[in-house]
Amino acid sequence: MADMPMQQPPGRIILPPHRERARRPFSVRAREWVRRNLFPSTGGTLLTIAAAVVLGLLLIGVLWFVFIDANWRIITVNRWLLFAGGFPREEAWRLWVGMGFVFLLIGLTYGTWSSFGRRDHLFVAVSGVFVVFIMAHGGTAIWSSVWFLLAVGVMYLAYALTARIPRELGPIRTLQQRVVGGLLIASLPLALVILLSGGASVRQLDGFVLNLVLAPVGIVGGLVIGIPLAIGRASTMKTISWTCTAYIEVVRGAPLLGWLFVALFILDDVIGGELIVRAMVVMAVFTAAYMAESIRGALQALPRGQFEAAHAVGLSRMQALRLIIMPQALRISIPPIVGQAIAIWKDTTLVTIILPLRELKGNADSAIAQREFIDDRIEAYIFVAVVFWAVAFMMSRISQRIERTLGVGER
Amino acid sequence: MTTHAGVTDAAADGDRLADSQNIIVAENVDKWFGDFQALDNVTMNVREHEIVVILGPSGSGKSTFIRCLNRLEEHDAGRIIIDNIEMNDDVRNLNAIRSEVGMVFQQFNLFPHLSVLGNITLGPQKVRHMPKAEAQQLAMQHLERVGIPEQADKYPAQLSGGQQQRVAIARALAMQPKIMLFDEPTSALDPEMIKEVLDVMRELAESGMTMIVVTHEMGFAREVADRLVFFDEGALVEQGTPQHFFENPEEERTKLFLSQIL
Repeated sequence: MADMPMQQPPGRIILPPHRERARRPFSVRAREWVRRNLFPSTGGTLLTIAAAVVLGLLLIGVLWFVFIDANWRIITVNRWLLFAGGFPREEAWRLWVGMGFVFLLIGLTYGTWSSFGRRDHLFVAVSGVFVVFIMAHGGTAIWSSVWFLLAVGVMYLAYALTARIPRELGPIRTLQQRVVGGLLIASLPLALVILLSGGASVRQLDGFVLNLVLAPVGIVGGLVIGIPLAIGRASTMKTISWTCTAYIEVVRGAPLLGWLFVALFILDDVIGGELIVRAMVVMAVFTAAYMAESIRGALQALPRGQFEAAHAVGLSRMQALRLIIMPQALRISIPPIVGQAIAIWKDTTLVTIILPLRELKGNADSAIAQREFIDDRIEAYIFVAVVFWAVAFMMSRISQRIERTLGVGER
Repeated sequence: MTTHAGVTDAAADGDRLADSQNIIVAENVDKWFGDFQALDNVTMNVREHEIVVILGPSGSGKSTFIRCLNRLEEHDAGRIIIDNIEMNDDVRNLNAIRSEVGMVFQQFNLFPHLSVLGNITLGPQKVRHMPKAEAQQLAMQHLERVGIPEQADKYPAQLSGGQQQRVAIARALAMQPKIMLFDEPTSALDPEMIKEVLDVMRELAESGMTMIVVTHEMGFAREVADRLVFFDEGALVEQGTPQHFFENPEEERTKLFLSQIL
């Protein structure tokens, strides 16, 4: 078994087969770990005990609050207000279809380029329980839980179907990548069409739904404007690079809140239209400046030789940018871009300042203002915080996944 | 700054280059980087199928010169004519020239986000508008020529330096250029990988490719070159056959340089 009489190609080193290292029994290793990490010395022991006491008290406090002290009725009673606010009730099915569409995309994307791991299942399960708990608590609206679970089902179905297609390059695989990629690119307009093609006006996007619409508009719009800006700023033509630099510096010179006031007062006279559309434009324009700077950093990090090799192969400037430079630059700038995305996700709460737009946090304020729930401020804000954290956490997980998937053959 | 004229009529290579035309004509080429003159009145012709090795200390302008030959650098004065096309600001001329001139870099400059096959098929597909299957077939031919067809699906980072440089040569060859420029192709390689790259270049030279090679590999220069050219301080100082160069160089600066590296 150990000696395999195979004729080896000359000069190739064959490593001996991997040998399972003998391991000490678990109890021994556990005792060792505890001694080394928790009770290494008198001081260490004292610190461990102190930390345990603090953490224990904290945990008991949190559990006490969540399960006994808190009045979660503020959430369950106001769940529609928090979720969709002024969105017309009779159009509610569009929200569920939209949610199903998003879950379908998640399933397809993971099935095509990645795979669900144990932690992803855990995340889905925990958020599922969370949603169902909130929905079921009020009594009547059992249907929302059903819709949510259906959407999760759609996601797993889409995943199961696409994950089955072999990853080897071939016509089917290419088609799969094109279809899913195309759907992803078209997803934002499609989702907006699903939500708004009926009787609901764009003005009626409200609550959590408004956050969910604003953030992608800001992120996608920011990238669409930001990529040409970054290229323009790096341009050798002075007029172009100065214009792009001026854009970036002016936009970054004022906080988002300031630009939202511009949308509210100044843009009203200039372009008019719905306030929410102006807010979307401002979000995209604002994010673009930051995205452009992240991408410019990546452009500068690329070795000059990449441009030169592209030219030497005969590619035109546009081809070099599209085929050689941007794919690499975007990959390098994924972490800062996701940083921007998470920032803009949280900044969607700022639109509350410019009435009458109400998003999740704004509607939580309305809920607190109800006489019955005046004492339940903390519950409302904790709920909002958890929801924001969950989405931000999901974004960061997805970005890590993208980095790892694209990392193939990285320098 | 005397230039040794009439060198290519050397008897040894008379037959091979007997009736070949000038494919590269460079006349009085100047290049400035700000206040620094990188090329000073360089005049040099290269004939079809000729192998020219350019020598010189670092900063002597030898890399700058060959980079001017495919417009990675823009020359400030003088004329460069490649295969009867004058190098000027006309974009069509530039594209025509670039597709006739292949270049291999010191740092390989493979595209790290594309597989080996993707690196090689990119030019034929996007510039020559060749169908994918045909481009892949062509790429495999050239990979076989440089001896690593089994690496086709790997990414550049998974290859050794020598393999990467061979892929870079295959990438340039896939555009079916008439001229190949090599800018210190072995300087970034570990010693044990230099030979595999030089072997590929030697084979290429034997196949009749016109080559200009900037290198410090004296063995290669002596054995393969039809003509050696010595640059110093941006000027072409001396040129001649390898025999002339290694046995009785005329210029003091050439002697000094050769004494330092041999």
